[in-house]
Amino acid sequence: MKRRSAVKNLTLAVAGLVSLPAWASGWSSASLGPVASLTVPEESLLAEIVETIIPETDTPGAKSLKVHQFVMRMITDCYGSAVQGNLEKGLLTVDQVANGAFNKAFSNLDTRQRTDVLTHLQKAEDPATQQFISLVKNLTIRGYLNSEYVQLNLLDYKMAPGFYHGCVAIES
Amino acid sequence: MAFININSIKVRTFDAIVIGSGISGGWSAKELTGLGLRTLVLERGRDVKHGQDYPTAMKNPWEFPHLGQMPQSVREANPIASQCYAFNEDAAHFFVKDAEHPYIQEKPFSWIRGYQVGGKSLMWARGTQRWSQYDFEGPARDGFAVEWPIGYKDIAPWYSYVEKFAGISGNKDGLPQLPDGEFLPPHEQSCVEKHFSQQMAKHYNNTRPVIIGRCAHLTKPNPIHHEQGRGQCLNRVLCQRGCPYGGYFSSNSSTLPWAQKTGKMTLKPDSVVHSIIYDEQKGKATGVRVIDAHTKEMTEYYARIIFLNASTLNTNLILLNSKSRRFPNGLGNDSGLLGKYIAFHNFRTTISAEYEGFSDTITEGNRPNGSYIPRFRNVFKQETDFLRGYAAGFGSSRMLNNDLSGFGADLKANLTAKKYGNWRVSSHMMGETIPKESNYATLDAGLTDAWGVPLLKLSVAYDDNDEKMIVDFHEQMTEMLTVAGFTNIKTNDQPQKAPGLDIHEMGGVRMGKDAKTSLLNKWNQLHACKNVFVTDGACMTSNSTQNPSLTYMALTARAADYAGKELRKGNL
Repeated sequence: MKRRSAVKNLTLAVAGLVSLPAWASGWSSASLGPVASLTVPEESLLAEIVETIIPETDTPGAKSLKVHQFVMRMITDCYGSAVQGNLEKGLLTVDQVANGAFNKAFSNLDTRQRTDVLTHLQKAEDPATQQFISLVKNLTIRGYLNSEYVQLNLLDYKMAPGFYHGCVAIES
Repeated sequence: MAFININSIKVRTFDAIVIGSGISGGWSAKELTGLGLRTLVLERGRDVKHGQDYPTAMKNPWEFPHLGQMPQSVREANPIASQCYAFNEDAAHFFVKDAEHPYIQEKPFSWIRGYQVGGKSLMWARGTQRWSQYDFEGPARDGFAVEWPIGYKDIAPWYSYVEKFAGISGNKDGLPQLPDGEFLPPHEQSCVEKHFSQQMAKHYNNTRPVIIGRCAHLTKPNPIHHEQGRGQCLNRVLCQRGCPYGGYFSSNSSTLPWAQKTGKMTLKPDSVVHSIIYDEQKGKATGVRVIDAHTKEMTEYYARIIFLNASTLNTNLILLNSKSRRFPNGLGNDSGLLGKYIAFHNFRTTISAEYEGFSDTITEGNRPNGSYIPRFRNVFKQETDFLRGYAAGFGSSRMLNNDLSGFGADLKANLTAKKYGNWRVSSHMMGETIPKESNYATLDAGLTDAWGVPLLKLSVAYDDNDEKMIVDFHEQMTEMLTVAGFTNIKTNDQPQKAPGLDIHEMGGVRMGKDAKTSLLNKWNQLHACKNVFVTDGACMTSNSTQNPSLTYMALTARAADYAGKELRKGNL
């Protein structure tokens, strides 16, 4: 049930991109300002996690777009201390699971092993772990889709379209 | 800026004083200065100059660090303001913060306020539907509140007058229950909205029209709008930030600069009105007491007429606080009804659904508007077990149905693939509530705000009629969506949504034919103090279902015209 609602939330987050007005989306690392809610090693680990969720391909991935800093900013400012605590706990769990399965820290795993760890966490029985991974994934997707790079280069953001057409054929 | 010697009565004397600079105060300023009257416009909040004081208006999306979401500390500090749909990162600076302006809720009432030059005209939702004769006739026909002293024919020319200047887009639908206005070109309905409209026409024999909303946007400006310095709406849909192009109507972009150009307006921000001064010998009001928002020093200003446009509940507060020997219970309050019969719009519930057709179409661009379902219940005669009825907004968008499972390169590719799901529609109810004596505003006997003004105490609640109407909205809309082929229909009543979040509170200083049962006459003058005019939402005898601002504008222009004539005749 929890998982279902988490998936539903993700759908809403992405649907929001289209149905919410443009101000509701978007950020850049410059607008975030300094955020130091995690230790340096924790932040590095989070960066590897967001990069695993959305990796660099022929376009930048979540790490180089600094999506991990967006995730930190959102959790610190908008979600409260309990969720912040769960983030820190979740990061510990990630390395525990990585060590348990592969005898290595998460950062030292290859892409497939990393994906296995995150998939394992997504299926965890523990609600706190589930909340951690779904929130990080949700915020990573929101942060990525609303970043300056993606908005301008992949989603063709226009502040002032100057029109509304109610019934347009989808280009195939 | 001329040097103002506060010790001189002469420089503190004007022909007219307007209290408030929001949507109705702006119109008072424009009309009174247009009559050549030297007019003092008092605004309790800070100045907001068109264009230059819209700090977020030109921000790119990625310049907001929290995707518009308010930080938790701000939400916790503002439990009331945070309930407002528009209290977000881009516009929160235009909303009153809870701690700065306390009030007392005898019953839950979320009072959403905008204290600045322009008031809530900066952040309003811009819906502008005319009232019809069936709305004005409501109280007399159905036996509630008190009979309106005016009808549609009295206000129709003034609707036209304000529509031409403000710029209202809409379609001439020819509906008796929602009269046409002076329209700029309408926005387009989406294919799903058109489909719903056609299906409703067929199944309900044209008794339940679904039209494009009428709204205060310059879809095609006329010379009068260019003359105001306003330009075409660019479909940014960032309106609540203030529009640098003047694409929608606000006091800041339209009426106030127009009044300024006459050279007759003195605009004083940071001026908290304490009360209206009543002179027993003269038998009329002579001015107002104003507290400087910063120094808290009190100054009196004088004028021959006063227009009270402080917003519904603050107008009630000012009159209740204007006590004199002649009016110990508040200015003009011989009937004892001042502050009573407050009503609002019931915005508690919504309904959503999906449509599986039109899968090869989408919308493009942005529309600062939606479709609109005018009231169809009890319009021409009483036909249900509740009084009056509801209008409804109706909007649509295409859902995205991207596969968000998994992690990695596939997920990344899926995110920007734009895989479309069903069309989704949603509709929000805008229910008429019945003004009742038990829904009231009073002053607290002991508590005052930072300016020494008594706190307003609100006792306003839903009633059984509202509950029945919610049930009917669910039933009727479910039937309508079903016959039109919609699926996955879900209602979403939120009983915890307190009255007030509609931001359509009205009444307390109602108009009427009889001084024993009302506060204002048919020209919006206090029966008992004829040189005080109340033309904001406080004057409303009943509240119907339409977005109210257009009616306030028309009533204001009509009252100002009358005040000018009466001044010339020496009657005021």
